[in-house]
Amino acid sequence: MYSMYINIAFAAYFLAMVFYFMELFFRNKFPPFLAQLFISSGIISLTVYIAMRWRIAGRPPLSNMFESMVIFAWMIGLVLLFIDLRYKIKIVSSLTALLGLLALGYASFLDKEITPLLPALKSNWLTIHVLTCFIGYSALTAGFVSSVVILFKKKEVGKLDAISHKIIAFGFLFLALGIITGAVWANSAWGSYWSWDPKETWSLITWFIYAIYLHTRFTKGWKEKKAAWLAVIGFLAMLFTYFGVNYLLSGLHSYG
Amino acid sequence: MTNPLKKSPIPGLNRKKWAMSVKQNKIWKFLSSVKLAISLFAIIALLSLIGTFIPQNEDPSFYISRYGDSGYRALSNTGLTDVYSSWWFILFLALFSINLTVCLLSRFSLKSRSMGTLISHISILLILAGALIGMLYGQKGYVKIEKGEEVNSFIDREKQINLGFSLRLDDFIYSENIDPREKLLVYSGNGQEPIAGIPTEVGAESDIADTGYKVKILRYLPDFAMDMSTKEVASRSAKANNPAIEVELKGKDGAQQRFWVFARFPDIHQKITGNLSFVYQWANRQPKDFVSKVTVIKDGKEMLNQDIRVNFPLGFTGYTFFQSSYDEEHLNWTGLKVVKDPGVGVVYLGFGLLILGLSIRFYISPFIRASQK
Repeated sequence: MYSMYINIAFAAYFLAMVFYFMELFFRNKFPPFLAQLFISSGIISLTVYIAMRWRIAGRPPLSNMFESMVIFAWMIGLVLLFIDLRYKIKIVSSLTALLGLLALGYASFLDKEITPLLPALKSNWLTIHVLTCFIGYSALTAGFVSSVVILFKKKEVGKLDAISHKIIAFGFLFLALGIITGAVWANSAWGSYWSWDPKETWSLITWFIYAIYLHTRFTKGWKEKKAAWLAVIGFLAMLFTYFGVNYLLSGLHSYG
Repeated sequence: MTNPLKKSPIPGLNRKKWAMSVKQNKIWKFLSSVKLAISLFAIIALLSLIGTFIPQNEDPSFYISRYGDSGYRALSNTGLTDVYSSWWFILFLALFSINLTVCLLSRFSLKSRSMGTLISHISILLILAGALIGMLYGQKGYVKIEKGEEVNSFIDREKQINLGFSLRLDDFIYSENIDPREKLLVYSGNGQEPIAGIPTEVGAESDIADTGYKVKILRYLPDFAMDMSTKEVASRSAKANNPAIEVELKGKDGAQQRFWVFARFPDIHQKITGNLSFVYQWANRQPKDFVSKVTVIKDGKEMLNQDIRVNFPLGFTGYTFFQSSYDEEHLNWTGLKVVKDPGVGVVYLGFGLLILGLSIRFYISPFIRASQK
């Protein structure tokens, strides 16, 4: 059964998180490649899982909450590996691993059944739209983690601030791409690139909050704690765009 | 010689001009401030948020049942039932556009190192301009076409618009996905457990376990009905009110028999040889595809035959037709959304430039600056 790959990924993400925390608390005693090895295995198992589900379903596995959650966890893993190799801040890596693990854990409670695609989702835009959105979401998640660390830490704040800024700028660009691909898709499916549907509106609200983050930074010099608070607010809006809209509001975007 | 009449008004005019320029300057400063831009981000985000919690553009009865009579009146008078077209929302969008334009005129230079910032801000103005073009010059409507009939006009905001051609519906095809739980269960004798679960796709032929019998699914009717005088069988509607399948059973000796199995009436007695009985375990079917087969006719000539499906609209002379609804009862008509939006190109140009501008700002400019050091 191909579902074992998701269990392997869960174990790998868990061990990666444990080893990142070990490295954080017992410096020099744990070689840093162990956690990286585990997170890489987790990413590979999820890649295999996604590929097999794709083949079995005969369509990209990007069409409901469970499938998107797996993609989210997969992307968080990739972003985590990137920032860990590049910036080597263990507290950020450990907490990002924890969030990736939570995403996988949450996915395990959701309905895993493969259902045929609704006519509205049968489009080449599905893959590009979902992937750009989730690249954006996972970058903004990592930006949230490093910003939260800024709020609680006194040391290394300058470095963390620079990292947050870089990841959030990247997430902002991909959120824009996600919104744009969604708009172009909506125009070819329904004849309107913008309908103020709750999902669309909330993605725009989220984008505006990060626009405030970038503008206050560039023109008013808001950095570190002030900027970190904005990153936290932006992340909450992003969570609402992802979950809140689906569970609390109704609209066109009712599948995931 | 100097003319006193020509000379005297000039200082006064100058003073006036000076005063005006100060006034303009103040307004100019306000309109070009980043503080205004940031406030507008926050205000527009907050106003948009309200519109996601109050359902928009519903019938009055919906609001009255939810918020009461006075609640409905308060919401509709303030524009809260249609936030995104309300005067105050449009006003803030207009102020946002002006703010952005003034910022572009006063803050940005054509230096290559600020190119990314410039392009990404111009792109937002283009998107807003494209939306405005669509609002002013776009047309939007809906056509309902019966099978075999044609339409050549639609209604947009109470105004009839002629297409300049007509669109005929040749056929409408609706198909469904069969849920994997849907099965034809076969029981043997008085057995409590089915000996086989047979897929119900029309045309499928299967063996019944090791009994030597074969079944073939001949027909599926979502709403079985029989004309009592002619004994003719047909589906009363496309809705699953009385799902039934016609089954052909073939014995070892080649003997055949045909019968209907009903999902809602499992106890209808069937005379079936071989001690077998059948139960139709039906599961809710989901739409798979909606296809409107249409022909475009211009000046009496057939110009184009095409299928319109969700995600695959039909475009002709600037009008685009989108599959939007259908006759759920009898599949006799299709509902198509008609759109002509001359602003889309401008919006898409804005989309492209936004991504280009942000990429330059975040990745190309810092790279160039770093390599110049």
